[in-house]
Amino acid sequence: MELWNLYQNNYLIVFVFLCLGVILPVVALFLGKLLRPYKPYDTKYTTYESGIEPFHDSRVQFNVRYYIFALMFVIFDVETVFLYPWAVAYEKLGIFALIEMLIFVFMLVIGLVYAWKKKVLKWI
Amino acid sequence: MDLETLLSYEWGIMTPEFIILGVATALSLMDLFMPKSQSRKILGWVGFAGVLAALVSLLGLIGHGPESILLDTFRLDSFAKAFKLLLLIGSAMVLLIATGYEPNEGLEEFRGEFFYLFMAALLGAMIMSSSGDLITLFVGLELLSISSYILAGMRKRNLHSNESAMKYVINGSIATAITLFGMSYVYGLTGTTNLKEMAGFLTSVYNEQHIYLLGLAFFMIVVGLSFKLAAAPFHMWAPDVYQGAPTPVTAFLSVVSKTAGFIIMIRILFSIFANAPSGDAQGLPMILALQDYVAFLAGATMIIGNLIALRQRNIKRLFAYSSIAQAGYLLVVIASMSLFMFDTLWFYLGAYLFMNLGAFAIIQHVTHKSGSEDISQFAGLYRRAPFLAIAMAIFLLSLAGIPGTAGFIGKLNIFMGALVPSEGHYVLVSIMIATTVVSYFYYFGVMVQMFFRPAGDTGKVKIPAALTAVIGISLAATILFGVAPNIAFDFLQGNFNQFTDFFQ
Repeated sequence: MELWNLYQNNYLIVFVFLCLGVILPVVALFLGKLLRPYKPYDTKYTTYESGIEPFHDSRVQFNVRYYIFALMFVIFDVETVFLYPWAVAYEKLGIFALIEMLIFVFMLVIGLVYAWKKKVLKWI
Repeated sequence: MDLETLLSYEWGIMTPEFIILGVATALSLMDLFMPKSQSRKILGWVGFAGVLAALVSLLGLIGHGPESILLDTFRLDSFAKAFKLLLLIGSAMVLLIATGYEPNEGLEEFRGEFFYLFMAALLGAMIMSSSGDLITLFVGLELLSISSYILAGMRKRNLHSNESAMKYVINGSIATAITLFGMSYVYGLTGTTNLKEMAGFLTSVYNEQHIYLLGLAFFMIVVGLSFKLAAAPFHMWAPDVYQGAPTPVTAFLSVVSKTAGFIIMIRILFSIFANAPSGDAQGLPMILALQDYVAFLAGATMIIGNLIALRQRNIKRLFAYSSIAQAGYLLVVIASMSLFMFDTLWFYLGAYLFMNLGAFAIIQHVTHKSGSEDISQFAGLYRRAPFLAIAMAIFLLSLAGIPGTAGFIGKLNIFMGALVPSEGHYVLVSIMIATTVVSYFYYFGVMVQMFFRPAGDTGKVKIPAALTAVIGISLAATILFGVAPNIAFDFLQGNFNQFTDFFQ
């Protein structure tokens, strides 16, 4: 029971943070509204007050290849992230982890070959 | 870990998995380096050979005693062996159906992907069936699910297929998230992911709050896995996905994927919650205390599946609801928890495998011929192709549970199992009988079309050899296990010893 209370007390801190998170923006915005002067005119409502006039739709279509490239990058980035802890702890993990890692890298190489053959790496 | 310990593991018990993994890898490489113009049908036959090889190696392992390697993350007990047998036979037949699949549009350029994604899904199901650890169970489940999401959307330019894949991904991910949340509670309470250690730890849990949390975990896991089984009220995705997916994928989802769902459900529920206390005065295990909820799920699934099937005109939707109803019958087995639960479940899943795959082979042939999936396409099938019509009639009779077919024996076993426990599940059994009668209407509706309606076109139907093989095997098995079911039960008794090593 003792432990149980301790366990629940930890949630109290979460609750305090939740309250703070809600109150802080509300108070800050409210105080800002009280303090600042209110003088609206047209130029204030433009997208960039002292920049270039926006001249077309804000939605821009771009090549889907960027997306595929990003996906490929993320996959191989994650691979590298997995390799680091293995390399650091290699002394302890031993031969078993080496074999596992070789299988892992081999599977990823197949993935790379797949991407290559499917012309993901080629920019048209 | 050094090389000696590594080699001291008995890797031989993983041979079927290694074969499937190797074939999946080889297929993906072959597909990449084959010239574009060449037909990908050969990949299907390589995959089929791989599944057969895995089947042979599994049969070689049947005499092997219970064994576990890699800290129990992989275990080979009778449960694993028996259900892997079903998975492999089912997959081999689905592959045969797939080689005979010639869609009017699409799939051609993705056919290679179809075969190795299929192998990956099978690998996931096999890993699930022989896993003693929550992590490998979950990885297997995800391997199966993610592959099936892509498989469902294989016809890239077909709107129904797109819709089905999208719905499947969203519903499936939500279900997975709920399951995972439930698993995290069990892990949090026991501090281990190993099922056996978990069971040992849970016997000594007496804290009220912990038992409450365990109950919560039970419900979340059951809800999440019910999605995979397509049990009502979590069945809404099934008709749309079944309708939109290519027919071989539908066959795979309704048979292999469903079998895998029951496998993981039994693994988790009976390993973990059979040992957890429920906190009442008699010291009942949790799974017995919460039995009624599973029974409710079974009852609701049978009623909803069978009643909505009455209104279906699309044959694939009809079979989707039929498979929901069948999941309900199978849930009765889990809810009744008799001594012969595993045997009954295994036999019914086996019977269901043959009758459903046979029916799907015929459905694929008929719907592909005409390009429409309406029931009226079956009109006058008896005039056009008497063999197909009679085979379909036998599969439908078996699905409905008419004596002389495997489906009847399976249902009979379910009844017996539900009535054997001292208090008996009379309500559940009466629901099952009533809904079975309801199911006659829609199964016989298809038969009326086949035998009594005039044929639309009278052209002779030529069946591909692979489909003939599937229909022939299914037909033989459906009748054989209906007339002489003791072949299957003797095999179970002789080789698996009533699955006693499941809990060891």
